[in-house]
Formats: sequence, structure tokens, C-alpha cells
Amino acid sequence: MRIRLLLIISVCLQLSGIARAQAQGKPAGPQFLSVAAPSTGADELLKVGAKAWSQITPKHIALNRTPPLYDTDEPAGLDIPSVDVRLARASGRLFVQLSWRDATQDATTLTEVPNTPPETRFRKVQTEADDRFFDAAAVMFPAKPGTAMTPSLQMGDAENPVEIYYWNATRGAMLMQAQGRGTTRRTGQSFTASGTYQSGQWNLILELPDLPTGTPLAFAVWNGGQKDRDGRKYFSVWQVLE
Amino acid sequence: MSKHQYAMVMDLNKCLGCQTCTIACKKLWTDRDGTGYMYWNNVETRPGLGYPRQWDRIGGGWKDGALQPSPLPTMDDYGHPWEYNYEQRLYEGKRQPVMPSPEPTSGCNWDEDVGGMNEDENYFFYLPRICNHCTYPACLEACPRKAIYKREEDGIVVIDQDRCQGYRYCIKACPYKKIYFNEVTGKSEKCIFCYPRLEKGEVNACAAQCPGRLRFVGLLDDPESPVHKLVLIHKIALPLFPEKGTQPNVFYVPPFNPPKRENYGKSIQEDPRVPLNYLIYLFGPDVKDVLTRLESELKKTQEGGRSEILQLLIGRDAETRYHVRPQLVQIQV
Ligand code: SF4
Ligand code: SF4
Repeated sequence: MRIRLLLIISVCLQLSGIARAQAQGKPAGPQFLSVAAPSTGADELLKVGAKAWSQITPKHIALNRTPPLYDTDEPAGLDIPSVDVRLARASGRLFVQLSWRDATQDATTLTEVPNTPPETRFRKVQTEADDRFFDAAAVMFPAKPGTAMTPSLQMGDAENPVEIYYWNATRGAMLMQAQGRGTTRRTGQSFTASGTYQSGQWNLILELPDLPTGTPLAFAVWNGGQKDRDGRKYFSVWQVLE
Repeated sequence: MSKHQYAMVMDLNKCLGCQTCTIACKKLWTDRDGTGYMYWNNVETRPGLGYPRQWDRIGGGWKDGALQPSPLPTMDDYGHPWEYNYEQRLYEGKRQPVMPSPEPTSGCNWDEDVGGMNEDENYFFYLPRICNHCTYPACLEACPRKAIYKREEDGIVVIDQDRCQGYRYCIKACPYKKIYFNEVTGKSEKCIFCYPRLEKGEVNACAAQCPGRLRFVGLLDDPESPVHKLVLIHKIALPLFPEKGTQPNVFYVPPFNPPKRENYGKSIQEDPRVPLNYLIYLFGPDVKDVLTRLESELKKTQEGGRSEILQLLIGRDAETRYHVRPQLVQIQV
């Protein structure tokens, strides 16, 4: 409990620091994200190299690291200081491209589990490694867009639930929901996403439902090489869809 | 603290190191995808590396009310599971010897029977290990998902597979390294103290199959149970590494036999085969008193008397060794 309280306090301090920095810097008030409306079709926008994407100027968004969850956590440096975000609307969907530099590609292809029950099989699928964590990223936004309140950055709150479009370099895309820290749950649903790693950079495209102007979005990146998982991650403050 | 607490006592003087318990557990619980390397029950040679290697030295547990750091053991520390090429030999008629693959380089009880030297005499004993279903489980505290819970009705510590997200904070926090990560399911798993068996009045599989008859099972708070008698009344069973602060509910009768060569007539503690310091390392300083008590019981019987404690430890039949009380631990609805 003490740990959690400390965590909440330190996150608040950190966030108020960020808010202050923002207030002092040039772009006072909320950070806006502009959305391009290319004439390209949805299929095209799911390709990292699509021409439509190269015509969109990315928004450079600063990432912060969450404070350690436990006293026992290994310290972690700010290896990924920012993420570049591009947004495009097409076919009534919102496409988000996230690009960030990451020195290591922490991803693997897990052996596919055959459809037959294990007891009927001669061989079982084995655990290859027990101590690796994978690169991942997510976009979070209010489950009820259009409400006046911006949810808590810590996975929303009881009045303001959030949807999280989470993608993991090994396990794929999963839709999650949360109403506050520690309440995140997988819905069992997936969504369309495609991630590629090249020359020290991840490019990830997520297909989201269309969101109205004014919707706040927040981004998170997990670096497997830094043993990131759960609240051990990089996060941005809320950005607002223009 | 839970309303009741199931507990196990293992008499280390009786363990043969046969691994029947390990296999009983494996056949019942960990014969699935992703579980090849994991042994919810393992038996290791002491002194020795242990499984996973050096688990007793890498950290975890509590100190002054705070969780202690620990790395995650690696597959090299557990030993990569290997398979044999039976297909080629049995079905494809290839006349090769059956060979393991990958080449085994480590495994549970890899250093079987190596033990240590006490002056010019070798010594070792077997240490069967399961999750201790601790009263203050470090694993439970460490889980940010609150996926681990201690059953109110019987104190068994389990991981809710629906809530678990495979973050592995629990594995780091457990000072006994008794939680295993299943990469296929992306979730962590551990010994469940055979609760589905207990609920039907059957004892744990590892205990039921043990030819050494060294496992005692019952509720710690049930005066009729052998574990209550051995731990709380006779005080001859101790938890492993009590200083880790989790308060285990698995207890061990420390090994004190056989005596050293040519020391017939001397007391166990005067010239022990297993150095006392090593037993203190494992079971804490109370082990000295336990050995004294055990020795006096032994003396009593050697002089023609009868020792209730030794009779209980012999544990001739299942009724003596187990006191499974599903009716006592029913969840009140
Ligand atoms: S032995 Fe480890 S896994 Fe089992 S209850 Fe104790 S801390 Fe948890
Ligand atoms: S089955 Fe019994 S005797 Fe055999 S290794 Fe396990 S605890 Fe020891």
C-alpha cells in the first residue's frame, strides 16, 4: 500500500512537473495532433512505406518513464526519449503510425500450438525462454469520447474508463479496457496492426475506430530490452485530436 | 491470515531421492504445452546447486517489511527440457541409439549425489521442494495485477490464470523460486497444493505416491493432524530459510543420519556427518534444539522405551500421515 501511495505521489509530481514545463514552454495548453485526410484507401495506410505516410509531417512527442513500481525494480534510463506520431483518416477509420528508435528488436516468433489437445500429442510445445520481455506500444483514449473530462493518465478512472489499443511485437494486437491503475483487462478482441523493425527503428501502424475532434490520446512504449512490462514503460501526456 | 492452513511436513531422514513425487506431480499438473522445464515439485541434492541453480542465493523474500530484489533465473538455470528421438528408433526403424536433444547440460538435480565433504567423509541428503504456501507470500505482494491470492478457507496460494499477465514480479519476489513462467500461455504457474484432490478428501499426489512415506499433510490448526503435532506440539519440524520472512507452511524434519564412520556411541551432534553449520544455514539456529529432541527420542527407544514422536515419524499408514479435512475447510456461503 505504501509503495502504491508513493508511486501515485511520484507520478503526480512527475506529471505536474511536465505540466509546468509545458506551461513555461511555448505551446501552452493542450498539445494538438493534426489528422491528415489522404485520398489513399485503408489497405494502403496499413503499409509502413506507403506514400501517403511520407507526406505527413510527424508530431514529435516526448516520452517519460514511469517511476519504479517497487523498490526492488532495476533502475532504467530514458533510452527512448520520444515517439513520432502520424495520424490519417480514411474509410471512416483512424490510422496511427508510431515510430521510435530502439537499439534492440525484442521480439520472437513463438511456436504455434497445434489444435489437438496436448495429451494426445507426442511432443509438447516448449517454453524457449522464461526471462525475456518484448517490445510493445499502445494508444489510449477515453472509452466515451466527447465527455468533458480527460481521464486519469493512469489507465483512466472509475468515471472515465479508457480503451487501450495495445500491440506486442511477439503476441500481436489486443484491445484492452481499464478504469484506473491495476484494472486493465484484455477484452479478448483484436484489431488490425502492423509493426516492422528496421535499422534500429520500430514503425507501427494501428487501425483505430474514427475518433471525434477533441478526443484526448496518450501513447506508451515498452522496451523489452529494459525488461519493460506492465507499468514499467514509457508514456506521453494526453494529446488532443485536432 | 487465512481461516485454516494446510501444511506439509517432510522427514528428510527418509527421502530416497527417487523422484516419484516429481513425476506424480508432473503427470498430473505439468504435462502441458510450455511446462516441460517446470517442476512444481522437485527434489534436489543438498548441499548442491539446487533447481533453479543457486535459487537460495539470488534474493527475494522480505527484509524489514520490504520485498528484496532478485534476478529472474534463466532457462540455463532450470535446464532446457530435452526430448528423445523415439520416433526414429521406434517408428522409422533407424538403428540408432535413443539420444536426447538438445544435449543436456543442466537440469533439476543435475548434481545428484555429489554433495559435500566433511573432513574425509562425503555427505548429502535430498531436499524435496514444493511451494511453501507461505503465510506472508512475497509473490502475492509483488503482483501488480493482484492475480495471486491466498485461499481464505485453507491458506493455499494460487495464481488466477485469468488475471495473470506474465509480468513475473512474483518469480523475482519468491525467495524459493517456486513460480515458473509458461511462455506458451504467457502466464506464470505454481504448485496448487493439489487443492482439487484435497477438496475430494484425497491427499496431494506427491505425498500419495511417496514410497519413502515421508510426507505428512493436514491442517496446521487442526490438533488431530500430524502436521500440527510435529510442528507445534513436538517441535521437530522447521521451515526452510525462516529468515526470508515469508513464513512457509512446508516444514522439514532435519536430516541427522547416518552417523559418521566409526563414531558409534557418540552423539549425533558431537561428530555429525552433515555439518551442523549447513543445517543452520538451511533451517536456522533452532535446528540444534530439534536435533537434541530427536536424539533424546532415539535414545529412549534404544533403551527399550517407546517414543510417540518416532512412531508418528515412521508413519506406517496413510491415516497416521494424512489428515485431509475437506469438511473443515468448506467455503461458507
Ligand atoms: S513459496 Fe514462493 S510462491 Fe510459494 S507462497 Fe511462498 S513466496 Fe509464494
Ligand atoms: S517420492 Fe518421497 S522418497 Fe521419493 S524423492 Fe519424493 S519425497 Fe523423496
